[in-house]
Amino acid sequence: MAKTYDYLFKLLLIGDSGVGKTCVLFRFSEDAFNTTFISTIGIDFKIRTIDLDGKKIKLQIWDTAGQERFRTITTAYYRGAMGIMLVYDITNEKSFENIKNWIRNIEENASADVEKMLLGNKCELEEKRQVSKERGEQLAIEYGIKFIETSAKASIRVEEAFFTLARDIKAKMEKKLEASNPPKGGHQLKATEPQRKPTNWLSRCTLL
Amino acid sequence: MAPNNENEFKGRLIAAVKKEVKQVMEESVTRKFVHEESGSVTSLCAAVEACLSQGLRRRALGLFKTSSTTALLHKIAKHCKEAAIISKRVQEIENADPTRRSSSSSESMNKPTLKKNASLPSNPLPKYLWIRLALFEKQLAKIIDYLVSNANKYYDKDALVADPDYGSILSSLLVGPCALDYSRTKTPDHFWTDPPADELVQRHRISSGHSTPPSVRRPILNFRRSLNASSDDSITNRTNTQHLAKDYVESLHQNSRATLLFGKNNVLVLPVNADVSQPMPGYLSLHQTASGLTIKWTPNQLMNGFTDEVQDKSVYWDYALQVRLDEIVYVHCHQDSETGGTVILVGQDGVQRPPIHFPKGGHMLAFLSCIETGLLPRGRLDPPLWSQRSGTNSNKRRRPLPALSETEETTKDYVFRIADNSTHKDMLKRNELMDTHISLPPKARVQLPSTSTSSESSTKSFSIDQNAPDSPPSICIQAVCDSMKRQIISRAFYGWLAYCRHLSTVRTHLSGLVNSKIVNGEGASDGITVEKWNELCIDGVVSDYEEVYRLTYFGGVAHDLRKELWPYLLGHYKFGSTAQQRLELSEETKQAYENTMSEWLAVEAIVRQRDKETQANAIAKLSSESMSGEQVPAQIQRDLSNEVFEDMLSDEDSEEKPPQTRRNTIRYESDGEVAEDEVQVNTHEELKDFIHNVIVTNASVDMGNLGNDNDVSHKNNLDAVAEENSSLDACIEAHGLASPARSACVSPASSNGGVYSQELLETFGLNLHRIEKDVQRCDRNYWYFTVDNLEKLRNVMCTYVWEHLDIGYMQGMCDLVAPLLVIFNDESLTYACFCHLMERMVENFPNGNAMDCHFANMRSLIQILDSEMYELMHSHGDYTHFYFCYRWFLLDFKRELVYSDVYATWEVIWAAQHVASSHFVLFLALALLETYRDIILSNCMDFTDIIKFFNEMAERHNASAVLSLARDLVLQLQLLIENK
Repeated sequence: MAKTYDYLFKLLLIGDSGVGKTCVLFRFSEDAFNTTFISTIGIDFKIRTIDLDGKKIKLQIWDTAGQERFRTITTAYYRGAMGIMLVYDITNEKSFENIKNWIRNIEENASADVEKMLLGNKCELEEKRQVSKERGEQLAIEYGIKFIETSAKASIRVEEAFFTLARDIKAKMEKKLEASNPPKGGHQLKATEPQRKPTNWLSRCTLL
Repeated sequence: MAPNNENEFKGRLIAAVKKEVKQVMEESVTRKFVHEESGSVTSLCAAVEACLSQGLRRRALGLFKTSSTTALLHKIAKHCKEAAIISKRVQEIENADPTRRSSSSSESMNKPTLKKNASLPSNPLPKYLWIRLALFEKQLAKIIDYLVSNANKYYDKDALVADPDYGSILSSLLVGPCALDYSRTKTPDHFWTDPPADELVQRHRISSGHSTPPSVRRPILNFRRSLNASSDDSITNRTNTQHLAKDYVESLHQNSRATLLFGKNNVLVLPVNADVSQPMPGYLSLHQTASGLTIKWTPNQLMNGFTDEVQDKSVYWDYALQVRLDEIVYVHCHQDSETGGTVILVGQDGVQRPPIHFPKGGHMLAFLSCIETGLLPRGRLDPPLWSQRSGTNSNKRRRPLPALSETEETTKDYVFRIADNSTHKDMLKRNELMDTHISLPPKARVQLPSTSTSSESSTKSFSIDQNAPDSPPSICIQAVCDSMKRQIISRAFYGWLAYCRHLSTVRTHLSGLVNSKIVNGEGASDGITVEKWNELCIDGVVSDYEEVYRLTYFGGVAHDLRKELWPYLLGHYKFGSTAQQRLELSEETKQAYENTMSEWLAVEAIVRQRDKETQANAIAKLSSESMSGEQVPAQIQRDLSNEVFEDMLSDEDSEEKPPQTRRNTIRYESDGEVAEDEVQVNTHEELKDFIHNVIVTNASVDMGNLGNDNDVSHKNNLDAVAEENSSLDACIEAHGLASPARSACVSPASSNGGVYSQELLETFGLNLHRIEKDVQRCDRNYWYFTVDNLEKLRNVMCTYVWEHLDIGYMQGMCDLVAPLLVIFNDESLTYACFCHLMERMVENFPNGNAMDCHFANMRSLIQILDSEMYELMHSHGDYTHFYFCYRWFLLDFKRELVYSDVYATWEVIWAAQHVASSHFVLFLALALLETYRDIILSNCMDFTDIIKFFNEMAERHNASAVLSLARDLVLQLQLLIENK
C-alpha cells in the first residue's frame, strides 16, 4: 500500500513584515511567484511533501504575520515548530538588524533544540542591496546556523533552503532516535524526548 | 545557445517527462488508481508542457498569448481530430468560466489564495488544462504524435518535438499514462494527501447527495444531526419517518439486541388492510430477542436498494407485518406443488394472520425449522417437525420431509401447535420496562413459548438468581424491574438537571451577546431600496433610525445608497440632522483632515530625508566593507544601531510612550541651542527636497478633494513651507508657545513649528514605512486600487496614525480602510468614518482584549448551539485557541469575502448592534463554521486542518446564506434566553 509520508515536520517562517515570507513559501509550495500578495494576517500554512534519502517527508510550513505586534498569535506556533526559517530582505538593512530580535523571540518561545536557518531573500535585487552576503554569513556563524541567500521571485535556492533545513531536522531526529533507542525498545524513546517537542510526527506516521 | 547545451536541455526535458510518467504509472500500480488531481498528474502535465513549449514557433504562428500551447492546440484542431475533440472541450470549460483565460501556462495559475478580489468566486481551472484533458481523454499521445509528424510546421528545426529521436520518444512515453483511467472519487487513501478545501466541499456535495445551499439548514439547539444528513431536514416529519424507516430496516438485520434466525426475500403476503388484490413480495425475517421470537415481513418497497421511485412510502408501512410468536398458538402449513408452500399463523384469539406464501426451494421448511430451534428450550412445536425420522411418531399428521415437500404431487397440510415447556406459567408477568426491543406489551396467554428470557436478562447486571436460587423467577424479575425503574428515573432526572444547568449557563454567559428584545424582520428582507430611502428621508432629514437599522439588518442597503447611508450607520452623521448640518460637518471634517495632513506631510519629508541618509550610509558601509573588508567606521555603526526592534519597545512601553515623548520635547527646549542647531542644519540642507516632497504629496490631496487649480494650492503649500521655515528661524520660543497650545491634541508634538523630537520622527517614520509596505500590496487586484487611489489610502492611513500615534499602525488597518474608501471615494469622509469604525475594531488588534473575548464567546456559543462540533473541538485540545477565526474578527470578515459581500456584511454588522446583537460577528463566525460543519465533522478536522480549510475558502463563501444563517442563530439564542 502507498505510504503517504514517513515524517511530518512543522516549519515556521518568521521575519519582518514585507521581507517576502509568503512569497518564499509560495515559491516552495507551488513553484510560482506572485506579486499581488497581501500582508499576512493571522496565520496560514502550506504543505509540501518532499523526498529525502528515500523517506517521504511532509513539510507543514507555517507563515506568520511579520509585524511584531502580532507576536501573541505567532508565538503560539513557535512551540510546535521543529524548524524555523528566519527571513530578512537583503535590500532592507532594518530587517537584517531585526534578525537578532527574532532569534531572541525564538529563544523565548520555541523549543530549545529547534533547527534554525537564516534566509536573505530578494537576492535578485543586487542593485538595491543593503546587506552584504558576508554580513549574513557572519551573523549565521555567530548563531551557529546555516545561511542561504534566496530569491522567491527569480526562484533562486528556495528549494535548497527548505531541503537543507529538512535534512538537518531529519538528521537531528534520527540521531536522537538512535541515541535514545538502544536495542531495548521504544518505550524509552518518548521519555527521553524533550517534553516540549511535539510527538505528533511519531504518532502521525501513517501506514496506509 | 550552443548546440551542445541545446541537446543537453532537451535531454533534461525528456528525462523530466520520463520521471513523471514513471511516477504516474507507479502510482497507478501501488494505489490501484490515479486521482485526476493528483500531484503527479500535474507534474506530468508540467513536464509535457515544457517539452511542447520548447522551440515552438510562436512568432511565425502568431501565438502570442500567455498560453501558447493551448493556442497551438486550437490551431491544429483543424487537421487533427483528436486535437479537435480536446480543443472543443477546453473551449467549453473556458466559456463556462469567462473570467479565466486558458490556464495552461504557469502565469495563469489559479490558486485560491491568489484569487484575492476576483469579483466572483469561481472554481479555478486546473493548470495545464488542455494537456490534462487530453490525458484523461486518452488522446494526448495521439495529439503529440501528430505534432511530431508535422513538427516542421509548428516548431523550429532544433526543437525537441522536431528532433527525430526525442519527438517520437515523447509521444511513445505518453502512451502508457494515456491508457490509464483517472479517478475523481475519494478514497480513504486520499484523506492523507491533504485535499484542498475545494475538493472537500465538492466531496461533501457528492456524498450528501444534495446541492442545497446551506442556508436551508437550520441548526437546532443541541442538534445532533447525523453526518451527511440531508439538508432538508427542516421538515421534521419527514426526517422522523426517514429516521424510523432507517431504524426499522436496520432492525431487520442482525444487531446487538436481536439475533436474526431466518431471512428470505420475495416472500408473498397479501396484507390485510391493503387495497391490492395480489399478494405482494417482501422480506420475511425471524428474529430472536430477549423477549421471544418475532416474525417480520416488510414489503419490498420499503427495503434498501429498491430502485423504483416510490413517491409515498408511508402506505407500505401499514402493510408491514410484525408478529410476536408468543401471540401465536397454531401454525398452519399448506404445501402444494405449484408454489413453495404457505404458512398461516393463528393467534390465541383465533384470528388468522395474513398467509405467508413461500417461493419454491424448501424455504418454508427452513422457516419452520428455524422457528422450532428458536422456540427451544422453553417452547416447542407440537408435533415436532423432524420427529418422523426417529420413527417414534404415531401421530396421524405426517412430517414433511425436505425431499418430499415440493416434489410430491399431493398437497399436504399440517398444523403445529406451539407448546410451552415451561412450568413457570406466571413468568408471563414480565415487566414492560424490560422489553426494550418491542413496544407491544405481551398479551397474557396460557402457553408461553418464550425462550430463555428470564435468565438472559436477569444475569446481565443482577445476581438475584444466583443468590436466591429457590425464589421464583417472578420475584427476581420484580426486583430487576424495580431497580431498572429507579435507574431510568434517575437518569431522566439527571438529564433534566443537566438541561437546566445548561440553560442557566446560556443565560448567565451568553445573554449579554444578544439583545433581549426580538425585532421582527417582516417586510425588511429587501433592505433599504432607493424607494424606501426616499420615504425615510423627509426633507433631507432621516429620523426613523430604528427602521433604518432594522431594514439594514435584515436586507442590507442598495449599493448606490451606501455612500449616503454608511456615515449614518457608522455614527458620523447623526440621525435627525438636516442636509445643511451635514454639509457643515463635511466641511469641518475636510478642513480638519487637511490640517492634520499638512502636519504629518511635513514630518514625512524629514523622515524621507533621514531615510536617504541611512540608506546612503548602509550602501557606503556595504561598499567600504567590500573594499576593505574591515570594520565599519564607528560613526556609521552607531547610526545604524539606533534602529531597534521597534515593535517590542512600543509593545512594552506603549503606555509610557506619550509622556516620554513630551519629556523629550521639553528637553529639546531647555537644551535649546543644541537642538536648534541640529534641526536647523537638517532643515536647511533639506529645504529644497522638502518643498518638493510636500508639493508632490499634497498634489494627490488636491486631486482627490478639490480638483481645482493646482497652481493655487502649490502656492499655498510653498507659503506654508516658507512659513514653517521662518518659524524655525524665528527660534525655539515660537515652538515653546505653540507646544502648550497643542498639547491637548492627540498627537504628542503636532506643532506647525517644525521642531520635532527625535522620538516622534522615529515613531512616525516607522509607522510610515509599515503603512507604505502594506498600502502597496493592498488589494492590488481590485479595480479601484490604482496608483492614485492607493495614494489616497495611504493618506487616510497616515492621518489616522498621526492622530493616534499611541496606537500606531497595525497590519490589517489598511484592509479596514479600503472598502470604506471604495464606497466613499473621498479621503476626509473615509477618514472620519474609519475613526468611528476603529472605535470598535481597535480592541481586536493586539493590545486590545476583544480577541480573547471573542474566542471565549465562540467556545460557549458552539457549546450551546452545536454540541457535536464542540465535542470535536474539545477532543483536539489545540482547538480552544480558535486562531482560525482570528482574521475573521480582526478584519470583520473582510478577507473572507469578495468586495461586494464585504459591503453587505459590514452594514449588517453595524446595524446589528441596534437591532439584535452587538456581537454579531460572533454569529457570523458561527454561521461560517456551521455552513461547513458536516465537512469539518466528517473529516475530523483538527485546528490546523480548519485553518487551512478556511484560508483556502477565503472569498468563496456564499455571503448571503451565511448572513441569514447568522441572523437565525441570533434569533435562536434570543428565543433560548427568552424561554425561561
